[in-house]
Amino acid sequence: MSTPAILVTLAVIVLAALLALLMIPVLVWLERRVCGLIQDRLGPNRTNVFGFRLGGVVQSFADVLKLVFKEEYYPGHISRGRWLFIIAPMITFASALLAFMVIPFADDVVVYGEKLRIQALPIDYGILWYLAIGSVGIMGMILGGWLSHNKYSLLGALRGASQLVSYELALGLGVVSMILTYGTIDFNAMVHWQSDMVLGFLPAWGALVQPLAAVIVIVALFVETNRAPFSVAEGESEIVAGYFTEYSAMKFAMYFMGEYIAMNTASAVIITMFFGGYQLPWISTETLREHFGAIAWVLIVVLPVAVALFIRWMKRNNTVRPTVATDGGRNFETKILSRVLIAMTVVIELILLILSFLPADSVGTSFAVTLLQIAVFVAKLMVFNIFFIVVRWTLPRFRYDQVQTLGWRYLLPLSLLNIFVTAIIVVGVAS
Amino acid sequence: MLETLFALLSFFLLAGSVTILLARDPALYTTGFLAVMLAVAGLFGLLDQSFLFLAQVMVGVGAVVVLTTIVILTINLKEKELPKEPTRGPWLVLGALVIAPFGWMLYRGLVAATPDHFPVLKEGFGTVQAMGSVLFRDWVLPFEILSLLLLAAMLGAIIIGKKEQSYDLES
Repeated sequence: MSTPAILVTLAVIVLAALLALLMIPVLVWLERRVCGLIQDRLGPNRTNVFGFRLGGVVQSFADVLKLVFKEEYYPGHISRGRWLFIIAPMITFASALLAFMVIPFADDVVVYGEKLRIQALPIDYGILWYLAIGSVGIMGMILGGWLSHNKYSLLGALRGASQLVSYELALGLGVVSMILTYGTIDFNAMVHWQSDMVLGFLPAWGALVQPLAAVIVIVALFVETNRAPFSVAEGESEIVAGYFTEYSAMKFAMYFMGEYIAMNTASAVIITMFFGGYQLPWISTETLREHFGAIAWVLIVVLPVAVALFIRWMKRNNTVRPTVATDGGRNFETKILSRVLIAMTVVIELILLILSFLPADSVGTSFAVTLLQIAVFVAKLMVFNIFFIVVRWTLPRFRYDQVQTLGWRYLLPLSLLNIFVTAIIVVGVAS
Repeated sequence: MLETLFALLSFFLLAGSVTILLARDPALYTTGFLAVMLAVAGLFGLLDQSFLFLAQVMVGVGAVVVLTTIVILTINLKEKELPKEPTRGPWLVLGALVIAPFGWMLYRGLVAATPDHFPVLKEGFGTVQAMGSVLFRDWVLPFEILSLLLLAAMLGAIIIGKKEQSYDLES
């Protein structure tokens, strides 16, 4: 491998790790703020560092500090085998993190004759890897619930495990029908398939081609992340906190972070399989590369307008009530943030201006296209993360028997039916 | 690099197997079982067998280990309820002695017979695609018969499970 290729590979691995790990505080903040909005209150917005509140994100870092410095407490009955007790949340965390590593963030780039995948683990069986690693994550939950020697924990672990095992069938069969449609198990090839069009005007996104499979897989992925409405494993109203009742401090935080990474991964899988991945609708990678100059000019026009609107919104809303005399440094924060935003916009505009005059087949253009696709991917990721959060705070938790009924009596037969219909159509189109 | 990985995986494999044999704490040998399954999957991965690797993780860990653990934790084994095994040490030694010739045969057959001319892999060896075309072109009938076996096993399990409710097969 040449040095640039190694650099690109390293950059992709770092990007994947950052996207998984740095997303956690943002998601925790989003969860609390969106929950606050839904329940008609504000959510955390006071914590600050030197007057910078950033809308409350700083609260998540304060939470991390609190969890790190909390006393390491072990229940008295866990005298031997403490390392096993600690390993359990690590399994959940590590498997959630590994599952995220196969998501393609952008199309392949060619660096000095070498084709590189923009994917932390460059393997071509992404969806199977996700399913396989996802099933290892269950072990962390079962071990944690079991080693706590506690009836609530045991019940939580059993509920979680049986729920995951029963929805894995629906998930697997739903994925099979998507594999039949795309004819591949490679995430990147799936995204390529989705850059075409169906019926002449719709983007060939999986959700439009296979709406039933999309519903089945999205529901099953909600179960896979153990989030409400499928959070029977930690139903606080019945079994305290389920499998992590006895876990405190960073051991609890491992489970907690694992859940958010799993949610992030589930959103990424939904995007990649059903919503065109890193592609903009109607625009394939080739089109992007050919007409990057035109797209750069569109961005040059749109970006300042968007930033100006955002700054106006911030000036109006990042204040205290007019009845409070002292403003508490919020005007100062708004001023500094506006200047930083304007400076960043100017730099990006200049870079875009230079890029718009580059020839279509240059290395610079292909890297710019890659960056644009990463930006599109992150934007879609945030939309689906917010979707996950809104669903959690909108629907009540299902009862355990309702969860099992939905899985076995509705989703499983529907996914089987979907496979048959898909197979008939795929064979019919091919012959 | 590959040698280090192989050494690590083999270490986990052996340590896990020894734990399964010797540990009296159910939690410890479940973890050993998990380590063995993951290490075997890793060894398949080192051999460029991506399909076997995935199948091992998905079936071995996702189904076998998970269900075994659920069974162990629902019967709620306590260490003091386990039977006393005073003759365990001699039995282990005897078993090792019985197995030793087979180990030697394996060494002769696999390692010593092919000193340094291992066959070169074909393009696409061990991938999901290659495995699928072999299974569904050359081995369709055995494959389907195997699934019939699984169906029979499942029916048996259902019938055994329903025995409590005076299940009458004649009516």
